[in-house]
Amino acid sequence: MMISQPARTRLRFVAIAIASALAAAIPALAHHSFTMFDMTKSITLAGTVTEFQWTNPHTYIEIDVPDEKGVVKHWSIELGSPSILQNSGWKYSSLRKGDKTTLIINPLKDGRAGGFLTQATLPDGRTVGNGPGRGPQK
Amino acid sequence: MTRRWLTSVALVLLPLAAQAQQAKTPPDLTGVWGPYRGGRGGDPKLAAPPASPLVLKPEYVKPYDERRAAEAAANARGEQLATPGAQCVPYGVPTMMSVAVYPTEIIQTAKQVTIISEAFSEVRRVYMDRPQLKLEDVPPGYYGRSVGRWEGDTLVVDTLGIKPTVAGYRGMPHSSQMHLTERFKLMAPDVLHDQITIEDPVTLEKPMTYTIAYSRSAKDYEMVEFVCDNNREYVDEKGIVRLKVQDH
Repeated sequence: MMISQPARTRLRFVAIAIASALAAAIPALAHHSFTMFDMTKSITLAGTVTEFQWTNPHTYIEIDVPDEKGVVKHWSIELGSPSILQNSGWKYSSLRKGDKTTLIINPLKDGRAGGFLTQATLPDGRTVGNGPGRGPQK
Repeated sequence: MTRRWLTSVALVLLPLAAQAQQAKTPPDLTGVWGPYRGGRGGDPKLAAPPASPLVLKPEYVKPYDERRAAEAAANARGEQLATPGAQCVPYGVPTMMSVAVYPTEIIQTAKQVTIISEAFSEVRRVYMDRPQLKLEDVPPGYYGRSVGRWEGDTLVVDTLGIKPTVAGYRGMPHSSQMHLTERFKLMAPDVLHDQITIEDPVTLEKPMTYTIAYSRSAKDYEMVEFVCDNNREYVDEKGIVRLKVQDH
C-alpha cells in the first residue's frame, strides 16, 4: 500500500527538518550527496522484501509494493553503509526475502521508483532510522 | 649517615629519572578515533581551529571557481556532478583523514604508525625515523610516502608523492609536488588533533593549514569492513550521478 503524504503537515515538518539536517551534513558525506532525492517529500511504502543487500557503499532494500487494486510496483530503496547502519540498530539479517515491512522514504526526484530511507519497521516491530542524525520519526 | 644521604639523593633523583623516561616515551595514539564531539559545554580549545585561507596561484583560481559554480548550479537543478567518491575511487591523502562519520584507526609501534580509515578501507603507513625519499623516487599514488618522527609529544609526519588526480583538500588543485606536514597531538586523553599543512609550489600561493579533531571511539569498537562492490550510483552521459533502480 503506497500512501502519498505531502499534505500531512506533521510529516512535512519532519521531512523538512530531516532535509535541513541532511543539507548540513552534505559536505561530509562519504559517497554522494542527497541531491538526487526529494527530501521535502515523504512516501510510505508497505510491501514485501524481495532482497536486502548488506553491501558497500550502500545497503539496499528491494521491495514489491501493491497499490489499492493489488497492482504491484517494485521499489529500490537506498540506505547508509553497513558501518553506519550497524551503529543504528540494524544487522545484516534485519530483513530477509519475504519479510513484510513498512518504509518511509524520500523519493528520487527523477520520478523512477527509488528513494532514500527515512524509517523502516522491522519484522520484530522495531522502527529503525538510517544512521546517525537520521533516527526513526518520533 | 652516608647511607641516609644516598637514600635522600635517590629519593630526589628517582622521580626525576622517571620523569625523564616519561618524556622520552611518546604518547600512545593507538585506538579508534571518530569525528570530534565536543557537545554542549565542551572545551572550545579541543575543537579544530578554523582552516587558514586557501590562496591559489592566479591561473588556478578561475578553474577552481568554475568547478565550484558548476557544482552549485547542478545542485540547484537537483543533480550532483560526478565525483571520484561517488564512483568508489578512494580518497587518498589527505581527504581520507576525515570522511563523514567514519572512524579512523591508528596502530602505533616504535617503527611504524599505521592509519586505517573505515570508509573505503584506506591504509597509510608512516615509517618512523627513516629519511624521506626524493620526490622522483616515490611512485605517484593515493597515499604517497610518509615518514614520521616525534617532536616531544607531537608526531610529525612528512608525506610526498600524491598524484595530482587524487582529490585535494575540498577539491583543491594540487601538483605532483604537493608536500604535507602533519602534526598529531593528544589535546586531552581522548581528543586527538591532526594539523595538516599543505605546500604546493605549483598551485598554492602560500601554504594552507587545517586541523582535524578526533574523539576516541568506544574502547571495544571493531572496525567494519568496507569493500565497494555494489556501487549502484552511476554517472550518466551528462556527468550526473544517478541511482540504478531494479526494473520489474
